[in-house]
Amino acid sequence: MAVGSFFTSFDLSAFINALILGISIASIWLIAALGLTIIYGAVGVINMAHGEFIMLGAYSSYMLQSFLGLPFLLCVPASFLIVVAVGLILERGLIRYLYKRPLDTLLATFGVSLVLMQGVRLIFGSDPKYLAVPPIFSSNIQFAFVNISVFRVVVLLVTIAVVVALWALFYRTRFGVQVRAVMQDKEMAASFGVNADRVYMLTFALGAGLAGLAGSLFGVLNIVLPTMGAAYVVQAFLVVVVGGGTLAGSVAAGGATGELQSIFAYFTNDTFARFVLFVMIVVFLRIRPQGLFAPSAKRR
Amino acid sequence: MNLYHKVSAQWLAYLVFYAVLAMVPLVVSDNFLLNQLSTYGVFAMLALSVSLCWGFGGILNLGQGIPFGLGAYGMAMTMQMQSQDESNPMPPFMLNNSLDHLPLFWVPFGNTTVGIVLALVVPTLFCAIFGGLMFRARVSGPFFAIMTLAMLSAWYTLILDIQPYTNGVNGITPPAALKLGELVVDPYSPGAYWLVLGLLIAATVVAKLMTLSRFGLVVQSIRNDAERVRFLGYNVAGYETAIYTVSGLFAAVAGCCWVILTQYVSPAQFDTTFSLSIVIWAGIGGRMSLMGAILGAFLIQGAQSYLGDAFLNTWLLILGGFFILVVRFLPKGLIGLVESALGRISIGSKKGGNGVSAPRLYPQPGE
Repeated sequence: MAVGSFFTSFDLSAFINALILGISIASIWLIAALGLTIIYGAVGVINMAHGEFIMLGAYSSYMLQSFLGLPFLLCVPASFLIVVAVGLILERGLIRYLYKRPLDTLLATFGVSLVLMQGVRLIFGSDPKYLAVPPIFSSNIQFAFVNISVFRVVVLLVTIAVVVALWALFYRTRFGVQVRAVMQDKEMAASFGVNADRVYMLTFALGAGLAGLAGSLFGVLNIVLPTMGAAYVVQAFLVVVVGGGTLAGSVAAGGATGELQSIFAYFTNDTFARFVLFVMIVVFLRIRPQGLFAPSAKRR
Repeated sequence: MNLYHKVSAQWLAYLVFYAVLAMVPLVVSDNFLLNQLSTYGVFAMLALSVSLCWGFGGILNLGQGIPFGLGAYGMAMTMQMQSQDESNPMPPFMLNNSLDHLPLFWVPFGNTTVGIVLALVVPTLFCAIFGGLMFRARVSGPFFAIMTLAMLSAWYTLILDIQPYTNGVNGITPPAALKLGELVVDPYSPGAYWLVLGLLIAATVVAKLMTLSRFGLVVQSIRNDAERVRFLGYNVAGYETAIYTVSGLFAAVAGCCWVILTQYVSPAQFDTTFSLSIVIWAGIGGRMSLMGAILGAFLIQGAQSYLGDAFLNTWLLILGGFFILVVRFLPKGLIGLVESALGRISIGSKKGGNGVSAPRLYPQPGE
């Protein structure tokens, strides 16, 4: 049984392997959570359809690859754009009417997630789809006694690139200043001439697009299924909640939770590790309910 | 005054509604249909419990499957142990998972009374502890919803993981109906139907009295403005924990009833989709109204059973779309329509002048 095997056999090289796997898990959780972080942090919407955006990203890649024969490396940005479009439509058609009712955005987006999941199932069926990648991605690399698949390294690098790009967008551009101003005080920003409505729309679309990008990567890591989103969405939410809804918070929270998951999994097994991790997060929130790095701005 | 808000008219509506439901077994002789209607009663109890903490307390709870599932597992364990005896002390699935003795936490379920008490106490205690932890930290609103979702997912993985003790994904299938002393509760009998209905009525009455009491008033004011209630000197976390725990107890009762009716429990009861559909029932029916939530459960589940076959593939699509429309345009749910309709009628009429006509205007479940 899971608990019984605690500390029975400690193997240093396997442990270091687990630590490195933890970095990989962290990068996966983080890239799944980035879009959610932006949508929650900037727009204040709890987007339950985030998992389905991820799923849409994976299916976009699958469609482009199998019907248009697009190479995988082009599918990734294309999926980003497709899901951005979906996000735009959703924001204009539904979400913008609910900004004053945060709990209702949660419910409405859950309705959206049901519709998207069942819609995709009707179009593509429930059988798993696969994404093909260049052969170099499907090999493993050996570094000293550490063995890791190339694609996981790719995911890690993409995650780092996206985080850097987001940081640059939010802290080095005019649009970023506007987003942060709206985050801190919507009315005040609006009175200084920032079009808050437009900022919300673009941020929501950007967050959705990031989910699409993550989805096209997850489609390679796992099989593509209409229900695949559900596997990522809880973890993504936890990263956002633990991080406090800021970019830096999500990076730290993603790193910490991914690494802890891998370490617990090393001592027990994957599912039990997840249980322990979730319980730890509950206790953590008791001590620090605002998350790791909470914005000092006013709460909606 | 709007008849909808008149308490005596509300009680009358409940009376008529439950009187009709109680007479169903006299008309319906098909035992499978009766069993199906009883399970709707269980779902109605779940919708009631969500309405209590979400509609009245403002605590959106996406993890109502936790107390429901824990109660269901407790009851399933109790019923499973009724089939075991001295010569055969262990459920068969444990032998298949090569356990050599009964696990310690299964032992108390050998006694039916203790088992049922545990099936109710454990989930309630869990809600009290989890709710207490969260509310004292002032985790509220969407954050609390996410945490209940995470907790639900944690329980799901745990129950799956400890397969030798819970039979993992296959769940527990007690071979015989529940025996209470000499009495056998046959799930396909009017007796089981009336048992579930009786518990549903009891839960409704308790919930209604709670919402009408001082306690209920404080809880509703917390929903409207927690900060102001805190400034007035009330222990907000205490009230929130209390309403969340009571709602958890109702869900645990529903879980027990569910296993009595279906003789089956599996980790699917901890599935996020199930917990979210409870919220959908309450949301569509009307979360601010106990009656609305109950009717919502009957309506959606009834539609799923009867329309679901015709629209097998598009059912979730329809449900999701309908839910979006309700959230967008009818935050009070379908019962909100009744409220505005009654409001139009009652204008100008004398207080209580047409009290008798109220029940007719409530939509009755299509049976």
